[in-house]
Amino acid sequence: MFESSPRAVTLVCQTGLLVLVNLWFACTGIVCAADQQQTAVQIEHFEKHIRPLLHKRCYSCHSEEASVLQGGLRVDGRSHLAIGGDSGPAVIPGKPDESLLVQSIRYLGDGYDMPPDGKLPDAEIKLLTDWVASGAVFPGNEVAGVAARSSIDWEEGRQFWSFQPLARQQPPHPSEQDRSSGDIDGFVLAKLMEHGLSQSPAADRATLIRRVSFNLTGLPPTPDEIARFVTDDSPRAYENLVDGLLASPQYGERWGRMWLDLARYADTTESWLGSTPNSHLYRDWVVRAFNQDMPYDEFVRRQLATDSIGPEEYEHLPALGFLGLSPTYFKELLLPPEIIKVLVADEWEERVDAVSRTFLGLTVACARCHDHKFDPISNEDYYALAGVFASTRMTDRPMIPADQYAPVEVAKKKIAELSEELKKLNKQKPKPEAEIKAIETEIAEIKSSTPNFDTPLANAVTDESLHVILAGKDPQSGSKLDYRPEPQDLNIAIRGNPNKLGDLVQRRFITVLSPEQPRPLNHGSGRKDLADAILDEAAPLAARVIVNRVWLAHFGRGLVETPSNFGRLGDAPSHPELLEDLTARFVENGWSIKWLHRQILLSHTYRQSSEYNEANYAIDPDNRWLWRMNRKRLAIEPWRDAMLFASGQLDSTIGGPSLAADSDKNFRRTIYTTVHRREVSKMLQLHDFPDPSLHSPQRMDTSTPLQGLFVLNSPFVTSRAQALADRLLRDIPDDTDARVHQAYRWLFGREASGDELQLAGAYLQEVAAECGEDAPASVAANASATAWKQYLHALLGSNELLFVD
Amino acid sequence: MNSNNSPDDSFPTPMLPRRSLLQALGGGMGVLGAAPYFASQALGGAASNVVHFAPRAKRVIHLFMNGGPFQADLFDPKPLLEKYAGQRPEGANLRTERPTGGLLPSVAKFYQRGQSGLPVSDLLPRLGEHADDICVLRSMHADNPNHGPALMQMNNGTILPTRPSMGSWFLYGLGTENENLPGYVVLCPGRPVRFAELWTSSFLPAAYQGTYVNHADLTPSKLIPYLQGDAKTPAAQRRQLDLMQRLNAMHLQQRGPDNALEARIASLETAFRMQSDASEAFDLSGETEATKEAYGKGHYANGCLLARRLVERGVRFVQVYYGNGQPWDTHSKHNDAVQNLCKDIDQPTAALLADLKQRGMLEDTLVVWGGEFGRTPTTENGDGRDHNHHGFTMWLAGGGVRGGMSYGETDEFGFRAVENKVHVHDLHATILHLLGINHEKLTFHYAGRDYRLTDVHGRVVQEILA
Repeated sequence: MFESSPRAVTLVCQTGLLVLVNLWFACTGIVCAADQQQTAVQIEHFEKHIRPLLHKRCYSCHSEEASVLQGGLRVDGRSHLAIGGDSGPAVIPGKPDESLLVQSIRYLGDGYDMPPDGKLPDAEIKLLTDWVASGAVFPGNEVAGVAARSSIDWEEGRQFWSFQPLARQQPPHPSEQDRSSGDIDGFVLAKLMEHGLSQSPAADRATLIRRVSFNLTGLPPTPDEIARFVTDDSPRAYENLVDGLLASPQYGERWGRMWLDLARYADTTESWLGSTPNSHLYRDWVVRAFNQDMPYDEFVRRQLATDSIGPEEYEHLPALGFLGLSPTYFKELLLPPEIIKVLVADEWEERVDAVSRTFLGLTVACARCHDHKFDPISNEDYYALAGVFASTRMTDRPMIPADQYAPVEVAKKKIAELSEELKKLNKQKPKPEAEIKAIETEIAEIKSSTPNFDTPLANAVTDESLHVILAGKDPQSGSKLDYRPEPQDLNIAIRGNPNKLGDLVQRRFITVLSPEQPRPLNHGSGRKDLADAILDEAAPLAARVIVNRVWLAHFGRGLVETPSNFGRLGDAPSHPELLEDLTARFVENGWSIKWLHRQILLSHTYRQSSEYNEANYAIDPDNRWLWRMNRKRLAIEPWRDAMLFASGQLDSTIGGPSLAADSDKNFRRTIYTTVHRREVSKMLQLHDFPDPSLHSPQRMDTSTPLQGLFVLNSPFVTSRAQALADRLLRDIPDDTDARVHQAYRWLFGREASGDELQLAGAYLQEVAAECGEDAPASVAANASATAWKQYLHALLGSNELLFVD
Repeated sequence: MNSNNSPDDSFPTPMLPRRSLLQALGGGMGVLGAAPYFASQALGGAASNVVHFAPRAKRVIHLFMNGGPFQADLFDPKPLLEKYAGQRPEGANLRTERPTGGLLPSVAKFYQRGQSGLPVSDLLPRLGEHADDICVLRSMHADNPNHGPALMQMNNGTILPTRPSMGSWFLYGLGTENENLPGYVVLCPGRPVRFAELWTSSFLPAAYQGTYVNHADLTPSKLIPYLQGDAKTPAAQRRQLDLMQRLNAMHLQQRGPDNALEARIASLETAFRMQSDASEAFDLSGETEATKEAYGKGHYANGCLLARRLVERGVRFVQVYYGNGQPWDTHSKHNDAVQNLCKDIDQPTAALLADLKQRGMLEDTLVVWGGEFGRTPTTENGDGRDHNHHGFTMWLAGGGVRGGMSYGETDEFGFRAVENKVHVHDLHATILHLLGINHEKLTFHYAGRDYRLTDVHGRVVQEILA
């Protein structure tokens, strides 16, 4: 009655659509029976006292007049009251104690007190209570416009473009396609011609190698690689370049990071979790999977359920980190279960959100409180899926068979006991040195004599369901998190509130993506069934989503511009036939991501210059139709890596634990910089690094003065300038032009122009003179070094390093 | 990336305001020659200038009493605490999440202050002088009695760490008035619980996140990340930047119009100016002795004075956390602790109001005072008070609110808000309203939905508007 949705549940009813009130036809009979008993006296009483009271106190939220109807409840009509809102009938005539309306105005402190801004005067409470007790007479006819609850038309829903089966498309062959070299180009060219646009010529080779190197490895090409490619006469020169980059181990680091944004990866998780020293095992597994070109379907399946496909392959266990490193919310167990249940339900929502957006490009979490407002996803669908995550527990798991790990567990338990003892002994005065020594020796012996003692634990999940129960008997005894081996189905939580339960929903896949009866998700937690459903009945959608993500990473924008929303509010594809055909062929080619890269990178569309063209720009300034390559700004990772590369300091070790962002010894690639979930480092934070608590579909680019300060003053950039100056002065003979050229090669992959040489010369001279170049030799050398450092700092901060043509 | 990219779902890409590039490039024009490109693509103003009606406040100062003050010590007199001291009167609903003891009287005495006669406790004598400017909300309530979630709710509107903070929403809606300073500054001599999550921009662009400043050390160069670097002189750095911008101009000229390149060039210029402007803004030595004396000494006093300097210079939103951790969290020896805490905030808070008023800024500067929740009228550990989100006090001043009034009531023991209740969502809706924004219309489309600071809730408390 009058209830509003629980505060924690978040959903804005975007267009103010009113939630249609559940019509329970059976109930109208009761109302009609009551009808006959209405007397003139009762009606007069109602019109005089009750209707004005309801109008004054309730109508602003619970009537036709409400701008947003709260709780799905209206009190401005007889049938509305009988049917009630999301919590069920509001009034049971003659039974005030059982009527939600009466309960809520009594202000019992259960979170459903109405009206929300304060208790009614006692007299008004009595009026309403007596009215219900005397039969809740409410004159007037049945109100029209009260419709059934779930109004989703599944057949119509299935017609949406992204839910269709995949089909190869006939590539158009426009007459002028002399520059086209593959199917992609035919589709793109057709759109260009349709819009009166022309293709751009291919980028020059130096530009191309820089572009494709950053795209595939996140690193610039070396001067040698550039020289070789620019002078390579082979017709396969470019193809060989692409293949070489795809085979390099740095490829997995760049593309792994793309995936980690989606997976909301963090090295350091919430402080209330046990320590997670091995989170990098998931990161490294992702990098390896990309490097090995693990088929995307296997990549998905392993992240959801590698522990239940075939015989255990322990090297793949860290794949479960997608779920095992999920964000968790703080639970104060002194609080009652009603509060803790909301937090737990919020966590389940987070899993539904991350999984459905990452793998399906669907915002299923929108359906937690009611049917999705725009997509054919029902409230039941949400709970059918959430049940899987309600039956999945985050936990650390050893990467060896259980029987091999059992002795380790015994050893660890023993060591924990001994350590306790040791602590006590250490507090004694005088210290019993001999005893201490003996225990320390014993610990060391256990460690060395237990095989696999140091085997790492991966952040993973197991099949266990979580139930929040009262810790003791007393209502104030707090909460207990009770994990049980058997899975659970969830009840619909009315308006998303787990303390107001509706019908039980069995775990099953999303209706609209199921051609027949939705697949049950009931083997264990249902994780493997879910993976199977995503890769079987939902395969067309899952494949479209990943193909679009890869396209996005190459072009800076997707064919679908909303990479994690392929629903109705998402963007329609700019080149639908292209996306369709490329996706169909991707699946035919074994879901191979490297195959997909080759298709895209070898197209003329990708190889186009990013140059400005006035005529095309006038028609399509946004380059929606791909008349040129988009100029792309480097994300923080490749930008920082490029600086380390230029200064000759880049440590290309792959994998392992992360390093602090602000360590002056951190020369590793930025993917190995610690991502702290609750406190992202200043450097990452300033440069649009995504919040690691949330699935991030795409990086945003902002240009802010605080980033400018990083360029001007950060120790990181200053130290790179210093190291680059040292490198240049050490390795290149004392010739200003030669040094400037070399700096340009390391930084920008090209030689300096005449103007640039001139600027450099003038600048170096001016700074050096000021610093005392005419002074004795040693001072002059220092002055020169200072000038070089300042000069190179300017190059490091320039747009040419940050943007790729 | 293309400048028209949007992250997940379509929305107009926010761009930061910037000055004209011609101005930004200063002396670098020689190499450029004609500059036809610059006029082409102005980047527009604030992100989404969404002012829906005439704003009453242009900027907000939030004085955050982290830990949670007890309402009946300050602005919500409860004489019955004395009468029933040590008891739990029959029929009184004082149940909290954790067991507490009997009622504990406050040490405060209340007096009617100002022309309005607003009751203010004798623990805040100086602040009482401003009673006629203060609008007390006695009926605040929130959803969660733990510090972390409650801090999140007060700042971000939800207990989840996945939503933008209110300051980020303000900036997203209104932009900044001074692009040479961060538009949203969080001052804390240490770290409040939950730290950076309290000023996150979350899914809003990173440009709208709060800039955290630990003002325990007042050296300006240490206050903003990377504000000062190695020992180059300003002239040397200007020369270096001129070189960088010349190269950038040549680079741009070869490539034609490009918003993203131009925006970066402009942001470097702004950064350069920020070095001096921010240093000046954070430098308290520019204040007269009389002013410094009026505010008094200590971190909180410095925070209040800094807040005034910052809003004076166009910063949209300044939060001043009272102290490191949760200093108002008085689980034991409450009555001793509260006297010291009040002594510490009384003079600076009063001085801030007086200072703003004297400079004519109080009318369009909204001052918000309060914690993440209140405390129990009953005892914990014999002489402490536990957390209480069922009813607590905040107050507003300036910026279009009526002074000299209180709104809403708690029950007779000051435990639970019972009349004209104001939820945190309602407070947010009201603050946005004062800033000229309809809280239901300030939305950001993300993950398939339109998000708001106030979620699906929030009522503007019309009764307190001037």
